[in-house]
Amino acid sequence: MSLLEIKNVSKIYGELKALDNVSIHVDQGEWVAIMGPSGSGKSTMMNIIGCMDKPTMGEVLLDGVDIAKESSKRLTDIRRDKIGLIFQQFHMVNYLTAVENVMVSQYYHSMPDEEEALEALGRVGLRERARHLPSQLSGGEQQRVCVARALINHPELILADEPTGNLDEANENIVLDLFRQLHREGTTLIVVTHDPEVADAAQRTIVLEHGKLVKEVINEHFEA
Amino acid sequence: MTKRRMFLRMITASLLRRRSRMLIALLSIAVGATILSGLVTIYYDVPRQMGAQFRKYGANMLLMPGDGEVLTADKAEAALSLIPEESVLGATPYRYVRLDMALNQQSFTAAGTDFEQVQETSPYFGVEGRYPVPGQREVLVGKEVAQSLNLRLNRQIDLTYQLAAAEGDAAKDWVPGASLSGAAISEFNNQPVFIQATLDEQGNIASLTVDASTQTDIGQQCEQESYTRQFIGKALPLSDADVDTLTGATMTSQAVREALNTARQEGQALSAEEYTKTFTVVGILQTGGEEETYLFLSQEDLEAVTREAGRLDVVELSVTGDAEQLDEYVKAISESGLGVTARLVKRVTKSEASVLTKLQSLVFLVTAVVLILTMICVSTTMMAVVSERRREIGLRKALGASDGSIRAEFLGEGMFLGLLGGVLGAILGFVFAQVVSVNVFGSSILFQWLLLPITVAVCMLIAALSCLLPIKRAIAIDPALVLKGE
Repeated sequence: MSLLEIKNVSKIYGELKALDNVSIHVDQGEWVAIMGPSGSGKSTMMNIIGCMDKPTMGEVLLDGVDIAKESSKRLTDIRRDKIGLIFQQFHMVNYLTAVENVMVSQYYHSMPDEEEALEALGRVGLRERARHLPSQLSGGEQQRVCVARALINHPELILADEPTGNLDEANENIVLDLFRQLHREGTTLIVVTHDPEVADAAQRTIVLEHGKLVKEVINEHFEA
Repeated sequence: MTKRRMFLRMITASLLRRRSRMLIALLSIAVGATILSGLVTIYYDVPRQMGAQFRKYGANMLLMPGDGEVLTADKAEAALSLIPEESVLGATPYRYVRLDMALNQQSFTAAGTDFEQVQETSPYFGVEGRYPVPGQREVLVGKEVAQSLNLRLNRQIDLTYQLAAAEGDAAKDWVPGASLSGAAISEFNNQPVFIQATLDEQGNIASLTVDASTQTDIGQQCEQESYTRQFIGKALPLSDADVDTLTGATMTSQAVREALNTARQEGQALSAEEYTKTFTVVGILQTGGEEETYLFLSQEDLEAVTREAGRLDVVELSVTGDAEQLDEYVKAISESGLGVTARLVKRVTKSEASVLTKLQSLVFLVTAVVLILTMICVSTTMMAVVSERRREIGLRKALGASDGSIRAEFLGEGMFLGLLGGVLGAILGFVFAQVVSVNVFGSSILFQWLLLPITVAVCMLIAALSCLLPIKRAIAIDPALVLKGE
């Protein structure tokens, strides 16, 4: 069953075609990597899937709803309810502690629950660091907090943009292990990256170039 | 944890953990609140303070006898009881009479008063020497009087009460047994004929003694009771038809009539011993006004000269209150049926009201300007806060924050700042007002508890208004653009 169905999507900024008639579909529980060099349209794709942007043309069906046609208010609701976002820059609220950062996501979604937030931090191995401010955490720890924040509301889709881009190898492995766990639990993962190693961890890799889908690779060594 | 607790936790964390930026906004609100609460405190206290200041320029209300009435100390007291006691800063009774000075036979207006009260209601009186002590036969002499008579301190002067002149035409007001004395030149030999008379309560002649020793034997018959009898019970002035002339002494008879009329008219009082007292000059009064032509005696001493008790002409009052209150007091007294009329000294009350109005509009203006400046400052700070927190706002939106949530968070922060700044400002404002009051007016003020919630509410409102534009900016932030930033 497909969770995401992108049909003939183009995104045009003036003269520039950031996405040019791209069609992708992602099944429920699938782990897909989107690869490509800078300017290939990865970020645009990420923004559209993440309900932060709308395509100029085409359909984007997320869980059966065409988000290309929704109002920005509705998009906010859909993003909050269905998607967990992870960014390259970590992006935490710098005056809130790790656990509070996780709770912010709960706050907008439903009801803050400190116990549950601490549990999520425990899952990424940071229960002990729950009361630390972002400035007191390393980059890897911050990104793990972001993973905890992304999964706290049990989203149907986790959308990660270069999640390991700013991490050393050890932390990269921790994050990828977390993704494997999430995949095993049935969470759909879309990871945008230019790192072949990260892409290799996924079940399937979609390669974009100049806004066009140029290649789709099934990872035969994939281990669940 | 409820959403509200998380909301408060986020707001307080934002304020407490990002202190330096918020401190500026807090400070500007606190300064605004200080000025607001300080000036409003002064604004409300100024009428009271200024009222006390204005009382230094003299009385602002007069009590006078009503039409056809006589003002007495008792009536004045009854009228005074219609004004709240704490509002009456001073009440100075005055009784004005004409007194002769034996020194040069000149007459002066003398005022009998209460010197303790004079010092309350007329603080501008400048006295060289000192105020007289009641009962000690001491007199305060106006500067002009002192100069014209070359009076020095400690000089003794004899003062004699002139009944008639004091009373003018109000003959019916004369006290029982009032005396007249006078003289008129007889055209017969250009020599004076003297009279002494007493008047009854109606001002009619009660007794008459004539001294016609300068006249002929026939003329001297005017001294006899058979002649003077016809004057008894008659009112002054006398016309030709009122009394018969003595045959053979027409001129002398006319002189008697004329002497009575002149005495009545000029008010020459009997130079009798009982209406003369010796006084010591203990002070010379300088006011720059009419008072310099007067003599001032204690009420007790004046009554010893005039032999009347409790008679007053006017009571000068220093009353605090705004124009409306004063008008109410005036109305209450005038309608009380006491036979007392109250009148405002418009010159004083009007200028007081106009100065207060100007001062209050100034305070209002300054407060408004300060609040606007506060708003600009808070708004600018919040604007900087929004640009500083672009990423965070973008992140919050990416995490699913609605426009409403973003608005609520910034409003919450702003109003929390308003709350803190308001409380701080209300307290500092009181200190500020206290310092101003003590330095300018020389008196302290009470903390107005009502001002605390008002200041806080105004500050929260100002802070909320200041956040409107920054919030608009925050809501316009595109999460996709912000989060992509390398």
